[in-house]
Amino acid sequence: MSDQAVTAEAFHHHDEEGTRLGFWLFLFTELLLFGAFFIVYGVYRSAHLNDFKIAAESLNTGIGTTNTIILLASSLTMVLSLNAMKAGRIMLAKSMLLITIALGTTFLVIKGFEWNAKFAHDLYLQTSGAIAAGKGSPLLTPGPAMLPDGQVLFYGLYFIMTGTHALHIIIGAVWMGIVYFWISKGSINPDNAGVLERCGLYWHLVDVIWIFLFPLYYLVA
Amino acid sequence: MNTSHSTEQSFSPRGPIIVFSALIVLTIATVMLSGLDVGNTGALLIAMSVASVKAALVLYFFMHLNHEPLIFKLFVALAFVTLATLFILTFSDYAFRGIA
Repeated sequence: MSDQAVTAEAFHHHDEEGTRLGFWLFLFTELLLFGAFFIVYGVYRSAHLNDFKIAAESLNTGIGTTNTIILLASSLTMVLSLNAMKAGRIMLAKSMLLITIALGTTFLVIKGFEWNAKFAHDLYLQTSGAIAAGKGSPLLTPGPAMLPDGQVLFYGLYFIMTGTHALHIIIGAVWMGIVYFWISKGSINPDNAGVLERCGLYWHLVDVIWIFLFPLYYLVA
Repeated sequence: MNTSHSTEQSFSPRGPIIVFSALIVLTIATVMLSGLDVGNTGALLIAMSVASVKAALVLYFFMHLNHEPLIFKLFVALAFVTLATLFILTFSDYAFRGIA
């Protein structure tokens, strides 16, 4: 083996473990982002417990449970995709990735219907009726029902938290589409599956966040 | 030069499917337990405990922490301890502000 070959190999060497650790650090920042949301939820829930309970009852537990199961299933297919890739079964890895994208999209469609049902009842991201009336700003439209502040806060947090989560689902699904393309091109292969692995880590973290969102919005009413 | 260092492993869906089944059972369990009349704190405690177990399963098995070196596990634990510290400090402050 010539010196040149050694240098070339060292140059192309990827530190997979270091890359993975770096990716986990990014995931920690995501944890802090959602952690801040959870703190706001916790403080306002304790301050407006009854309003939170009344508002939470308008959310459909059946839909929430269905979406939870869909997301858990998508995490399973994601793991299977990576396992298949590492076992050299590329076609299987690609199909599992496609199923994961399909499940993520189904989650979004269901979430969309759920949001629409709320919009139909004039429940959207709005400010407190009292504040809007005082400011007289056209941007701060009070809800027609003039909800109590606690319920306005509940729906505000509901849309912000599930919305930020849905944004992560969209990013994850697009990323999976790109990964699918790279697998097809062969740049992601059994010997170089790091990108698929990190895409999976991201997808699972989004699942972990939903695992906490689900009971807080659909169950503890 | 053939440096095929591919760690070819056979495809075994059994482990992930077992973990997935456990997650589904826990999901159904938490929905059923939410019907219990155990008061606000009790319901919150049950729901968050089940969610923590589910999250731990995903982190440990699906996110392959079980195959990572100890330093990874410590990092992840530290991140959650940091988050827990933020929660405890914030809530212990708000608990004495008289708004709850």
